[in-house]
Amino acid sequence: MATKSIRVDLLTRVEGEGALDLEVSDGRVTAARLNIFEPPRFFEAFLRGRGYAETPDIVARICGICPIAYQMSAVHAIENAFGVTVDGQLRALRRLIYCGEWIESHALHVVMLHAPDFLGASDAIQMAREHGEMVRNGLALKKAGNELMRVLGGREIHPVNVKAGGFYRVPSRAELAPVAENLARAHEIAVGLVRWVAAFSFPPLERDYEFVALRHPDEYPFNEGRLVSNRDLDIDIADYETEFEERHVAHSTALHSMLKRRGAYLVGPLARYALNFDRLPASVKTLARQAGLGSVCRNPFQSIIVRALEIVYACEEALRLIAAYRPPEVAALPVVPRAGTGFGCTEAPRGTCWHRYDFDAEGTIRATRIVPPTSQNQPCIEADLAAVAASILDQPDEFIRARCEQTIRNFDPCISCSAHFLKLSVHRT
Amino acid sequence: MTGTGRPGAASCKVLVIGLGNPHRGDDATGAIVAQALCGRLPADVRVVVRGSDLLGLIEDWAGFDGLVCVDAAAPLGTPGRIHRIDLLARRLPKRLALTSSHAFGLAEAIELARTLQHAPRQIIVYAVEGGSFDCGTPLTPAVAAAVHVVADQIVAEVGRLRGTSGRVTQAGYCGQTITRENDECT
Repeated sequence: MATKSIRVDLLTRVEGEGALDLEVSDGRVTAARLNIFEPPRFFEAFLRGRGYAETPDIVARICGICPIAYQMSAVHAIENAFGVTVDGQLRALRRLIYCGEWIESHALHVVMLHAPDFLGASDAIQMAREHGEMVRNGLALKKAGNELMRVLGGREIHPVNVKAGGFYRVPSRAELAPVAENLARAHEIAVGLVRWVAAFSFPPLERDYEFVALRHPDEYPFNEGRLVSNRDLDIDIADYETEFEERHVAHSTALHSMLKRRGAYLVGPLARYALNFDRLPASVKTLARQAGLGSVCRNPFQSIIVRALEIVYACEEALRLIAAYRPPEVAALPVVPRAGTGFGCTEAPRGTCWHRYDFDAEGTIRATRIVPPTSQNQPCIEADLAAVAASILDQPDEFIRARCEQTIRNFDPCISCSAHFLKLSVHRT
Repeated sequence: MTGTGRPGAASCKVLVIGLGNPHRGDDATGAIVAQALCGRLPADVRVVVRGSDLLGLIEDWAGFDGLVCVDAAAPLGTPGRIHRIDLLARRLPKRLALTSSHAFGLAEAIELARTLQHAPRQIIVYAVEGGSFDCGTPLTPAVAAAVHVVADQIVAEVGRLRGTSGRVTQAGYCGQTITRENDECT
């Protein structure tokens, strides 16, 4: 019996801290475990006893890359509990700020973190020596998204302008005009980005995912919709806990989310795309066809193309929203607290971000539950790792390690914003 | 920022960046030094506080001739010790491991900017060895004592980069505006 170990001591292109153990016996992968050992952050615990008005600013601190997702899920849940409906231009502004988050988050991942895997580069710096123009374009895209976040959110990271009922302040049309100019340029860059990444070489892998995403009657989803899957799921977001559960696993401090009836499921760009292709504008559909994609993509490595397509979509949607923008009469609707439970679910760049809050009559939080997208994708990440590793076990360890890292990056995991290394061990017996 | 500045002194555009998380002990060094520079630099010297991802600054760097960065460094046994690193002469030493909780810290951002030819010609890094990076704690005494020392050094550094003495008593040297861009980390 021989045991062999491969270790990656430093992986700088995921957000978070973890390790991976592969167990191989008789030439088969018998286990693939993504070990997440960062300490719990207790957000759900210290939200208890806090007022509803504090909530958007507290939950924004969960993530420096996708704070809008947490803010949006929270304000929708608060409004759901208190019987407030935000529509018209305030609703449009929420979609607009979400566009900014998708653009900056996807641009960072596609160009700076994921593309080097496909080009044999160790990182974006090495990639920039050969592909400097694309790195510049990636930075320009990220800047365009950040600008949208800053104008609407007050600042780029952990925005401070979102509140239950709307915003603390809404922009004038004049403030959005230069943003639109940059977005028009960003749209051009994003179209070029789709074509660039579509020409990459992709490992042949098709996975039979159960895709889960929001689906709205008219829109490609950001803030609202029913939770649907490509199997038989079609539920109101309030019924999430009847279909899904979170489980403790011994090797991770992060909970694993599962469909109670079927187990692992996938959230994020591939799921949104597969379940909402018909909601994309014709221009994005055409671009997807030109990039070689059908209406469903099951190759996780091609998620980089779908992310790039979603940047194009977010630019187009943002330009549409800005063109139609008329400043609302009030920056926020009145919100009167009452006892009750509220639910919010929105589409973070990495997938559905589900929140539940129980309030007392004064609007103080009595209990909360927050299910982030990466928690939901963990079982799928492990299943993908097992499938990918099984197909390359005859390759050198260095190759297996690189391909496994790339497989994890397919998910753009946001394990946390505090650290970033992955140790990979392969045990062969 | 823009300002009156001294006539003829703006031939070298200089940017000063204070890096760090103001809520994590000595990691706040860069932000606090930037605050200490308020009103002490020529008005056309831009001072920025950054807490995390520096990618957004890279494109802006292209417009500057000189860049002065101040950041906390990992403990090496002498909290408060100031290291001046001229990146024309040497690379950032790995042993200093400037503190960054995100993938693109100072070293990576500078290297990427240089690869893209967006980096200022002259880059000077002031790294202050930290002692504690605990959440919610103030600067440790040794690092707090170093704040005004390093601020004085940066005032002189900016003067040298601009080809002036760096004295700060003349009109036009006041009214420094510090731009806080994403001044807090997760």
